[in-house]
Amino acid sequence: MNAPLLMVENLRVTYPAGRRHVTAVRGATFTIERGRCLGVAGESGSGKSSLARGLLGLETHVAGRVVFDGQEVLKLDRAGRLRFRRRAQMVFQDPLGSLNPRMKTGAALAEVLRVHGLVATRAETERQVARWLETVGLDGAYANRFPHELSGGQRQRVNLARALCVGAEFLVADEPVSALDVSVQAQVLNLLKSLQETRGITWMLIGHDLAVMRHMADEVMVMKDGAILEQGPAADVLARPAHPYARELLAAVPDVGRALARRRPGATVSD
Amino acid sequence: MKPADSNRPVKDGADAVLSVAGLGVGYFPEKGRRLEVVGGVDLDLRAGRTVALVGESGCGKSITAAALGGLLPPGMVRDRGEIRWRVGGDCSPGRGLAYVFQDPGECLDPVFTIGSQIREALPRAERRGAGKRLDRLLRTVGFEDPERVLASYPHQLSGGMQQRAMLAMALAGRPRVLVADEPTTALDVTVQAKILRLLAELQQLEHLAVLLITHNLAVVAEIADEVLVMYAGRIVEAGPVHILGNPRHPYVNGLLKALPQLGTGPARLEGIAGTVPPLGRRPPGCRFHPRCPLAQPVCREREPPLNGPGDGHRAACWVREAEGPT
Repeated sequence: MNAPLLMVENLRVTYPAGRRHVTAVRGATFTIERGRCLGVAGESGSGKSSLARGLLGLETHVAGRVVFDGQEVLKLDRAGRLRFRRRAQMVFQDPLGSLNPRMKTGAALAEVLRVHGLVATRAETERQVARWLETVGLDGAYANRFPHELSGGQRQRVNLARALCVGAEFLVADEPVSALDVSVQAQVLNLLKSLQETRGITWMLIGHDLAVMRHMADEVMVMKDGAILEQGPAADVLARPAHPYARELLAAVPDVGRALARRRPGATVSD
Repeated sequence: MKPADSNRPVKDGADAVLSVAGLGVGYFPEKGRRLEVVGGVDLDLRAGRTVALVGESGCGKSITAAALGGLLPPGMVRDRGEIRWRVGGDCSPGRGLAYVFQDPGECLDPVFTIGSQIREALPRAERRGAGKRLDRLLRTVGFEDPERVLASYPHQLSGGMQQRAMLAMALAGRPRVLVADEPTTALDVTVQAKILRLLAELQQLEHLAVLLITHNLAVVAEIADEVLVMYAGRIVEAGPVHILGNPRHPYVNGLLKALPQLGTGPARLEGIAGTVPPLGRRPPGCRFHPRCPLAQPVCREREPPLNGPGDGHRAACWVREAEGPT
């Protein structure tokens, strides 16, 4: 087993509030192996998004250690940070809000490629844009569409393409499918999974939907009030959670199979 | 599920509080051009029962709900079918029919206290000296400290508490029918579970007929008695909630296979190919046929009726109908 891609030690994220600080993440420690998917489950205010932003170096008041492929992320200089940002990318929940409404899909991708100095000529840019759109399952013709001309699932695919095109190996996806309809959500989840399998992408998947977690994640952490309450293999944590809050969370998740079994005529009623 | 369910005739609306037959809503983008937003919706709401109208965005579920209370957005008209109340008394919106919506923060006025907003929802004659009634209403929706809540402004309450306050407001007019449009979609799962439980309790306690609008099949499975699945403006499958365990319509089958479930583990999901057709580009015949794995020539030409073998389970599908009961 080689070294984990990401190692986080006692990470603390705080936000200044007047003279005091509000602690959003109180000492998170975990690792993610290459090509694996870590699910971070929690409700709003649990600190899961702050954790993600903190370890990507997007927050200012951060303490602790983040080691990405042997490098201390929080101590990187400007050039190092730019290289790190290329390798570690983020995908957000609202696919429309993450895209510039006045920029065509192709232009949005081209801009990212140019900023990171990955393309020199126009022809090369076009080739790269088409290639990345294809990677996420979109026809090259979509380069000429504006975000409002795309469906929610297509927009999320564009966001994925934009994150991948700079050569990302590690993707943090913050509720990537919760704004999508079920049939589209399945398509995007399948895409995320195949990117993990074929391109060896390492994921951190943040969300509140434990059924999605069960489907995607290899390991799961449950967070509440900035603390990690439970972590372990997804099959264990989401089937037999040990912490009382994790149990409460799991019991609260609506589930078709579970509900129908409970409500079957003759089934004993338990709540 | 109560045993009486299986023999209950679904079509017969005799014991319904509110019956909807052949409801259609048109959108008129320009003079003389009618686009059908929803069509052919039959619906019976009964006291003490929850009917769920479920579907993906743009299927017309919220428009159907809005049409019941005359709350259609500008440009849309309910111009087909009828809505019939089967009980006497004042059945106007806000009295007979009450709504709860997805985002309680947006429904509440930020500059008035919860107390004054609920008082405003009371029938005029009851507003004076309504302290006791308000207190009782808030306790009904699960608040243990009504006085503090009544004096609070919306921003001082959490999302779950705001939704409880909205429920109290909805109950203030003693409605017969409660329409809950995505009432828990904006809430955290543990809060969602509590609000769903509260909805079920209120429905029993107040003998409410509940119409639940949601995109979430799991929520339907948890609390609905009956389910109607909508696709592109039509009801494609209907019946007692347990039909979700054995759906007949290929769309509903596809939805359930696309849904990650706790019990299935990391198995690959089967998405439904293609996307929902936008209004104005809905195909002729069965509206699902371009995405349907079972589509036959007849599906492209004629629209299938919502039919079933008589046990209350109905589906609008030519192929399933030809196969006979399963």
